[in-house]
Amino acid sequence: MDISFWILQLLNALQLSMLLFLLSVGLTVIFGLMHFVNLAHGALYALGAYIAASVAASMGYWAGVLVAPFAVAVLGLILYQFLIKRMRSSGPMAQVLVTFGLIFALLDITRLIWGDLALALDVPELLAGRVSIGGIEYPVYRFFVMAVGLVALVVLHLMLTKTQLGAMIRAGVDNDKMAACLGINVERLFFLVFCVGCALAGLAGAVAAPLLSVVPEMGVDILIPTLIVIVIGGLGSLKGAIVGSLIYGFVQTFGAVFAPQLASVMIYVLLALVLVMRPSGLFPAKGG
Amino acid sequence: MFYQTPLRTAVLLLFTLACIYAAFTAEYFGVEILTEIIILAMIVLALDLVAGFGGMVSLCHGALAGVGAYIFAIFTAKLGLHPLLAMGIAALITGAVSWVIGTICSKTHGIYFIMATLAFGQMAYSFVFESSYLGGDNGMAGIPRLDLSMIGIDLFDSKQFALLCLACLLVAYLFAWRILTSGLGRSLVGIMHNEKRSRALGQNVVQIKAQVFALSGLILGLAGSLSAQHIMFISPNLLSWTHSGEALVIVILGGLGTLIGPIIGAAAFVLLKHEVSNYTDHWHLIVGIILIIVVMAGARGIYGEIEHRIAKRCAKRVQKEQAPKQAKEKTKEHSLSHAGLKKEH
Repeated sequence: MDISFWILQLLNALQLSMLLFLLSVGLTVIFGLMHFVNLAHGALYALGAYIAASVAASMGYWAGVLVAPFAVAVLGLILYQFLIKRMRSSGPMAQVLVTFGLIFALLDITRLIWGDLALALDVPELLAGRVSIGGIEYPVYRFFVMAVGLVALVVLHLMLTKTQLGAMIRAGVDNDKMAACLGINVERLFFLVFCVGCALAGLAGAVAAPLLSVVPEMGVDILIPTLIVIVIGGLGSLKGAIVGSLIYGFVQTFGAVFAPQLASVMIYVLLALVLVMRPSGLFPAKGG
Repeated sequence: MFYQTPLRTAVLLLFTLACIYAAFTAEYFGVEILTEIIILAMIVLALDLVAGFGGMVSLCHGALAGVGAYIFAIFTAKLGLHPLLAMGIAALITGAVSWVIGTICSKTHGIYFIMATLAFGQMAYSFVFESSYLGGDNGMAGIPRLDLSMIGIDLFDSKQFALLCLACLLVAYLFAWRILTSGLGRSLVGIMHNEKRSRALGQNVVQIKAQVFALSGLILGLAGSLSAQHIMFISPNLLSWTHSGEALVIVILGGLGTLIGPIIGAAAFVLLKHEVSNYTDHWHLIVGIILIIVVMAGARGIYGEIEHRIAKRCAKRVQKEQAPKQAKEKTKEHSLSHAGLKKEH
């Protein structure tokens, strides 16, 4: 195992982390702000991949990547108005169950529309090919995935820390009642954050589509890693989402190198350890 | 608080009779479905014990039943132990595993509890999936059934096997009933309603929760070993988290915190699944929509709704019976006061 092997693993880990980050950041901010557990987040991701694949088939890759987040955000808007708004005040079990029902329903709806067969989405010409770094060849598209994650991270970070909207969101996460008392329209904030979270899930799906085959179960498969990321990182914080994603990506990738048998068990052991030692995750949004 | 009301006893008896009737009259495929219902009923009964009376919404109960199935398979197919002994060992080990999980998870609350149990369930799933000793992805075949030919029962006959499962379900129900009416069960309900107060009263909250979780694990171990014997083949799929989620769905559909409700829910769920599958492949769409409607309607579930309606009607009747009585008493008082007035004059 020479140095290029390790660079390759490092890149793989980073790429997985960034994809997970795109997914988990929406979920974690929705939870942090609204205390709402949206298990259907993975299903929205799958939907994003499907929409991107079908749009791309007729109008090219870039159209697909642009349309998917918007379409998924519109779906999020509908879900919010009809379902999630009413479930806000109920306990975690009711929320888990309703969104579990949504997983079932959305899974079958994708099957009804697109069928059981896997769809493929080709990498655009611009991003096809490979670059060589340190003696290895790595697909450009994977760098693109990393870049998208990184851009999302920077934009979200700047928005949360530098803008007034970001300050309002942070206030809402910290204490929504107090924020409402200070004249912030928390209800509208929730709505906005929910739609942005959904759009990010759609974007993640669209970006991931060329890497993986687009199948109905992809949403269920990605859900558990996403949940692990946000629970390890701490619900509600951007920092938690990125740290959690990196931890997951690296443990999964390097675990598979060092102990192939134990790789997938290891991440759950880590999760259990975090839950026991620091039940609210490594970087919870609220103090404590 | 759990009470074995006459209605619950009646529903349980009705369910038992219906199962026995079905076992004797149904075709082979029908009896297989019946067995599926009964084993699933045991799992959801165990889940209701912790979720409905301890507020412990576990997303690893399906996986724990799978653990029971695998332990049974290891001790019979691999180590050649007597199935009866293996069933006992499966129940005990699953109970012990549940106790450990319960102890760790009981320190967390709400969504964190759900996530923690999910983590343990997935841990077991990945372990089994990766383990070549346990057959990995391919699962294990050649699991024997219990041999009761000494007392004239042939468990390879699907009817007699279904009746054995039914007997186990009834034992599990009595077991859960006994737990819930004991001091331990009462303490658990107290913790669910107000954990801080229970702690202030000097109760070891984590231990009580963990103990009930372990007892629920005993039922799961038994259910798991029955399901291994039923199909005589097991695969890691048994431990997947969607099964645990489905168990939770059934508890809600049947009626959380009623003990008998989830059993009815299991029957309704499996029958509906087979009925719907006859017409369409999209069974999940229908169950998803039903689930959303049930939860949004107040999450009382099938049996919970029936009980709620009856309770409401009884309350109305009591009010009606009391109303004329009160009116009579009022007029009596009235006339008395009149009499008093007359006397004064």
